[in-house]
Amino acid sequence: MNTTQPNKRIMPTRALSSMFHSKKLGKILALVAILIIFLVPIYRLVLLSFQQDGQLSLANYTNLLMDPKTWDVLYNTVIMVLGSTLIAVTLGVTLAFLVAYTDIRAKKLMQIFFVLPFIIPSYISTLAWTQFLGANGLYGKMVSALPFSLEPINLYSMAGIIFVLGFSHYPLVYLLSVGVLRKIPRELEQASRVSGASAFNTFKKVTLPLALPGIASGGFLAFLANLDNFGIPAFLGIPAQISVLSTYIYQQVVGFGPTAFERAATLSVLLGVVALLGIFIQWLLLKKSKRIETTVEDKKPRFLLGKKRIWIEVFLWSFFLLSSVVPFVSMGMTSLVSAYGLDFTLENITLKNYQYIFETSAKSERAIFNSLKLAGITTLIGIVLGTAFAYYRVRRPNKTNQFQELAISMPYALPGTVMALSMIFAWMEPIPGFNPGIYGSILILFIAYFTRFFILQVRGSITAVMQVDITMEEAAQVSGSNGYSKWRKILLPLLLPGILSGAFLVFLTALTELTVSSLLWSSNAETIGVVIFSFEQAGYSTYSTAFSSVIIGLIVVGMLLLYFIETYWKRKVGKA
Amino acid sequence: MSVKMEQIGKKFGTFEALKQIDLEVETGEFIAILGPSGCGKTTLLRLLAGFLSPTDGQISIEEEEVGNRKKSVPPEKRNIGMVFQQFALWPHLNVEEHIKFPLEHHRFCSKMSTSEKKKRVEEVLDIVELNLFKKRMPQALSGGQKQRVALARAIAPSPALLLMDEPLSNLDAELRMEMRKEIQALHRLTKATIIYVTHDQGEALAMADRIVVMNKGEIEQVGTPKEIYTKPTSTFVASFVGKANLLKGEWQEDTFRPGLNKALRFNGEAVTKEMKAKGLYPVRPEQFQVLPSDANKEGIPAVITSVQYQGKEIHYTVQAEQGEWTVHTDMFSNFSLGDQIFLTLENSFREKEAYRRPQLVRQS
Repeated sequence: MNTTQPNKRIMPTRALSSMFHSKKLGKILALVAILIIFLVPIYRLVLLSFQQDGQLSLANYTNLLMDPKTWDVLYNTVIMVLGSTLIAVTLGVTLAFLVAYTDIRAKKLMQIFFVLPFIIPSYISTLAWTQFLGANGLYGKMVSALPFSLEPINLYSMAGIIFVLGFSHYPLVYLLSVGVLRKIPRELEQASRVSGASAFNTFKKVTLPLALPGIASGGFLAFLANLDNFGIPAFLGIPAQISVLSTYIYQQVVGFGPTAFERAATLSVLLGVVALLGIFIQWLLLKKSKRIETTVEDKKPRFLLGKKRIWIEVFLWSFFLLSSVVPFVSMGMTSLVSAYGLDFTLENITLKNYQYIFETSAKSERAIFNSLKLAGITTLIGIVLGTAFAYYRVRRPNKTNQFQELAISMPYALPGTVMALSMIFAWMEPIPGFNPGIYGSILILFIAYFTRFFILQVRGSITAVMQVDITMEEAAQVSGSNGYSKWRKILLPLLLPGILSGAFLVFLTALTELTVSSLLWSSNAETIGVVIFSFEQAGYSTYSTAFSSVIIGLIVVGMLLLYFIETYWKRKVGKA
Repeated sequence: MSVKMEQIGKKFGTFEALKQIDLEVETGEFIAILGPSGCGKTTLLRLLAGFLSPTDGQISIEEEEVGNRKKSVPPEKRNIGMVFQQFALWPHLNVEEHIKFPLEHHRFCSKMSTSEKKKRVEEVLDIVELNLFKKRMPQALSGGQKQRVALARAIAPSPALLLMDEPLSNLDAELRMEMRKEIQALHRLTKATIIYVTHDQGEALAMADRIVVMNKGEIEQVGTPKEIYTKPTSTFVASFVGKANLLKGEWQEDTFRPGLNKALRFNGEAVTKEMKAKGLYPVRPEQFQVLPSDANKEGIPAVITSVQYQGKEIHYTVQAEQGEWTVHTDMFSNFSLGDQIFLTLENSFREKEAYRRPQLVRQS
């Protein structure tokens, strides 16, 4: 087989140089496309906030800051964010400590409850909480069994918003803290004990200072999530006339006042700046916390609880049941009664709410179809482009694609209302003076979803590519395969699990999206989130809960599917 | 001739990883490229594989020019096989599929029929003795077996050139010794040209037909293992390969007069002219003779600063006036920390005396 081909020409120089040129052209085109899609909308938003009557001015800001309503909204926002972040940090750190360091059992099963809030959209869990704590909810029944009487809880209040936000976002703090705690080397604590410090002093002087940057970084993440959230303050705050920044922007836009867009843009810039600052601080803290970590997670317990263990376990499981299972059961029960407010008894149980959603209501049918279509297309395009970009970013890291990744992540980093508003400004008249009708059709939703969620696929694919060692590819290359066959036989099989989990995240997030759609939808272009929101606003709780239950069912099926694919894959490939 | 490199240079930015490398490799030769980390040996291998292209000079494999300043044939179009440091086995393919992969894609295998390919897979499985494991996935194999799969994949298409990038560095010491034998056997069996990169002088000395010693992007010396070990032409080769101590002194023809005991004479017929020009006599640790006292003034005085008992040998570090030296003796010597000793060579003789064997002094 050692065929010798003396002095064979490799490739004509001209062909080579023309390839170089087309490659360069492609790179420039990609850069321009990324700028237009991801950064220009934000630029236009900022520009609009500094304009009045086409002139550059600060009038929007001065008007806004002189309006007492603005200060009211800012005050509400600060209270809401601080309160809910406090709850999230307390819950998250306590649970992280118990799971990371003590010998409580069934930690794996607990993981499900920490992941749930990421998968179930916050407006659906809000709905579930309102059904649980509402007039005819399970809470009332449980309380009436008690010998003493308890005040009913009104979720449609500032306290209610803070409570639901805190319970929705504590997993962010938990996930970051538990990783940091586990990565603190046990030897550091042992060294402290050997030096004579007590267990408590060791925790105070060694463990806590080391874990603090990670915990703080989780706290900032919760802070951002609370600031950014639209669903919870919209479902609970709007009926109670409590406005915070994200809902106030929404109200400005749908209220169509004379200077609605300018005001909304100005508020958005304020909100966006705070959010970006928060992200920057979070990034700094995370970087700091990574310095002290080892790479291995030490999962063995460090504190034995002894006799107290069983009580702590009982307490934890009651917490999980009450916060993550019972509300959804309540919601399911509401969706099955024939009229809102009726007792959950056999003669009141009916499936007519579900029938209404699937058959009678054209709007909900359209919404399911629209959301599936939007999520599906966004996911498919994301898989191809996102993986291509991720591959290029990991294998040939340079300043340009570092910048490109930052640009791609901007629309996701900004609060949803801010991002949606920037989409309106960018695509209503893509070229000033020319309105092709993108805004007002389903096309704007598609563009917005892609712009916002593309980074999720890019991140998933980047993780996947980084896990495949470059020598895997080089081995294929020296075996004579590059390009198509290398991708089909080596790279895709190895990348697939990572790509799929990224794609699943994109699909799920897009399918149940509310914030962006609530500003960009139009008739015939409704989405699932928008329809549930409108049912709830019109007081049709039986319909909104039925629709939400359907979505929860779909999510559960999707999760199981993903789980089985992964198990099958692991059995076939094993751990590399 | 299998491989020819002419005036190869490789720059990364302003850093010169390789400078004017000239090397010719005969068909069927086993060449070891030996050097410390950062000496450019891996860069050289990657140039041969085609993962990098030279910034100067040209490379040809089997008379075909594959790389120069302007163009570079990509790895998949070169007639090569390669064994990677971390094995680089594909976790989703079993042993048999690993061997089949290059047969299906290698440019020089495309004309094989399906039955020929099947036969070749069996043949290669026989060579690496993995017939019983052909359906196993990589993660179900031991370190040595993984290594053999990596070897099998590389030799399957019978490449003109087989490249190995520190293939044994991920195995434990015992397995490394065994794999040395297997790679030698593989070389005899396949008659392939092998270029083997390593930082382990033991591996290079044990397996290679010729060794290329590299340092700071340049070739220091090319020669058979024996030449490299016994006749180093540079201080780097002497200390890196032979771990030699460099004694300073004066040369007169083939006679060396150490600076620390001018009455002494060493026979230096075996020392290269390059070392003579520098006024150095390289002494490998095991060449020293250790005398407890120096009644006849026939040694270089030194003090023992460290003793390491190794079982069959004892390793001493001694402080002489010219610096710290390493001395290995058999297990029967018995010196302690701080002892005054005198060092000499087996071939030393005193002035105006004919060469005579010094008396071995043994304390037991």
